[in-house]
Amino acid sequence: MALSRTLYGLLFKKTSTFAVTIMVGAVVFERVFDQAGDALFEGLNRGKLWKHIKHNYEKEE
Amino acid sequence: MLSVVARAGTVSPYLRAACLAVAGPLSAVSPAAVVKKDTVLLDANKPLLCGHCARTGPTVSSRLNAVAGVRFAHTDIRVPDFSVYRRPEVMDPKKSAQDSGDARKVFSYLMTGSTAVLGVYAAKTVVTQFISSMSASADVLALSKIEIKLSVIPEGKNMTFKWRGKPLFVRHRTEKEIATEASVNLSELRDPQHDKDRVTNPKWVIVIGVCTHLGCVPIANAGEYGGYYCPCHGSHYDASGRIRKGPAPLNLEVPYYEFPDDETVIVG
Repeated sequence: MALSRTLYGLLFKKTSTFAVTIMVGAVVFERVFDQAGDALFEGLNRGKLWKHIKHNYEKEE
Repeated sequence: MLSVVARAGTVSPYLRAACLAVAGPLSAVSPAAVVKKDTVLLDANKPLLCGHCARTGPTVSSRLNAVAGVRFAHTDIRVPDFSVYRRPEVMDPKKSAQDSGDARKVFSYLMTGSTAVLGVYAAKTVVTQFISSMSASADVLALSKIEIKLSVIPEGKNMTFKWRGKPLFVRHRTEKEIATEASVNLSELRDPQHDKDRVTNPKWVIVIGVCTHLGCVPIANAGEYGGYYCPCHGSHYDASGRIRKGPAPLNLEVPYYEFPDDETVIVG
């Protein structure tokens, strides 16, 4: 209750802070979503990507 | 007929007499609503377009064995129940709706906000993808570079390479040329530019071999200043590629290049 009141007063009540909340939220969401998607892709394709098998082909100089 | 009365406006009092005459054999929408009175008269003093009948107007109903009656439309309409659309917090009419106001607002704005966040993310991704599809691909970028081995160019010589369809001059300058070009007074130049602004390493001058006048290819180690000479209209460039005499307005163009090590240069 107190949390929702604080949240509402701080972030949502004014249009300006609401817009800022959306923009900041979009930046955070983009990072989290993209990284989660990449992690999922690499998890599903473990051992098939070049960066996973690169060390087998590179010679130490 | 009554709708005509209702729409007639100022002339409606004159049409009112006709109202009673119309009471014809209309079948009742709901028999329960039929007013059982001997005579029903529309009260002449009562405003016809009252609040109750403003939407639909009075309905006249009658049956064969009954006298006409006036029934208002709202009498058989149930009070609408909006509880399907209500939030659970405000279902109880005895509870104060203010107590849950913040929580309900936070829910609404959270939903709006997260939709907006998703929309911003989607829009940004679409725009980025679209714009990045216009930029040059990696193979095109790789073709736009040229790697030159500097050891093949002896001191005092100039070598021409083809780079992006244009001639590229790479000149290995002597100590004497370096000293001469560095000491040139900038006020004598048409396009004032110091030698150190045109070279990274003073031993190597790398310029695009296209005369800035009309685009001919100059001849190296020729002309009055010992640099380049354009045979088309007689422009003289010095050993730093700067215009010194003739019709050309600007110095020879210096492309972007870098030295990864002492032996090679990568232009582009």
